[in-house]
Amino acid sequence: MPRYFIDSSDGNFSHIDSEGVELTGAADARHLALDALPDMVREVLPDGDSREFAVCVRDELGKVIYSASLTLAGGWREDGKAEPQDGPLLDL
Amino acid sequence: MPQDVTVPKLQFLVRSLALRDEVTPEEQALIEGMTMRRRLLRKGEELVAQHSQPSESCIVLSGFTAREVLLDDGKRQITALHIPGDFVDLHAFLLKVMDHSVVALTDCEAAYVPHRELLRVIERSAHLGRLLWLSTVIDGAIQRAWITSSGRRAATAHLGHLICELYLRLHAVDLARDGSFAFPVTQVELADALGFSLVHANRTLQELRATGFVRWKGSTITIVDFDGLAALSQFDPTYLNLVKLPR
Repeated sequence: MPRYFIDSSDGNFSHIDSEGVELTGAADARHLALDALPDMVREVLPDGDSREFAVCVRDELGKVIYSASLTLAGGWREDGKAEPQDGPLLDL
Repeated sequence: MPQDVTVPKLQFLVRSLALRDEVTPEEQALIEGMTMRRRLLRKGEELVAQHSQPSESCIVLSGFTAREVLLDDGKRQITALHIPGDFVDLHAFLLKVMDHSVVALTDCEAAYVPHRELLRVIERSAHLGRLLWLSTVIDGAIQRAWITSSGRRAATAHLGHLICELYLRLHAVDLARDGSFAFPVTQVELADALGFSLVHANRTLQELRATGFVRWKGSTITIVDFDGLAALSQFDPTYLNLVKLPR
């Protein structure tokens, strides 16, 4: 079975996978990588309003074959003042 | 293969009970006199199967075992880890139908005690009955600690808490010393015990190593700074009941 290496970063601590894991195929590696994202997000109470959580899958040759990220974009709302780039402007 | 236990290898069980209360020589003889069969299990084999109706309960004599619950999509939660001396399946004595299975995490040795033998021992010594009851109450206390870790602790604290717990439990039966113990589990098993994704378990292990409180090399864990690890994990050993009191 091929071996895949899954690196991850929560925007502060990066983990480079040096051991890897044997899986039946790339689809399983993608699944494992995506599985880590919500775990990482749950851990971190961000001290700022923007943060990126990222994972990537490398194959045995070291080539990145898949990557994914989740982005936190927060911002205080002051009526009429917030610009879209400050954070999500959703009318809830 | 099943074998009769000719020489009872019950020192870990007796030690585990005697840590929490005085065990008289008569009580020890009652335990050692129980009829039981010994079974050697390979890593991955089930000691007790989910939905089975065992007529005997098993004691771990050597090796690590786990209680596990499997979901239909193949996911697994390890809900408890058991070490030598744990009367791991005392639960079946009263549960009758198993809601979970017990599996060997390493090659291990177990003794199966028929329920009629347990009944005989409890009827002869109400005190031993209470001590066996205590062991299931402590299983429940450990479960509370695990739920708290799963629900509320940060990942490094969760893993640190588990390491502190395993060290004290193994130390109590003389299977750990000078901060070190053998913990031959895979990262997949570790992830399933913590309820983490595999990648997150590996990250957490790296983060915990970076604190310098713990070394984890191959299958040996060494706690370099127990107080530091305990503080990081908010570990309070009260739930393990490692005190000798009349019970």
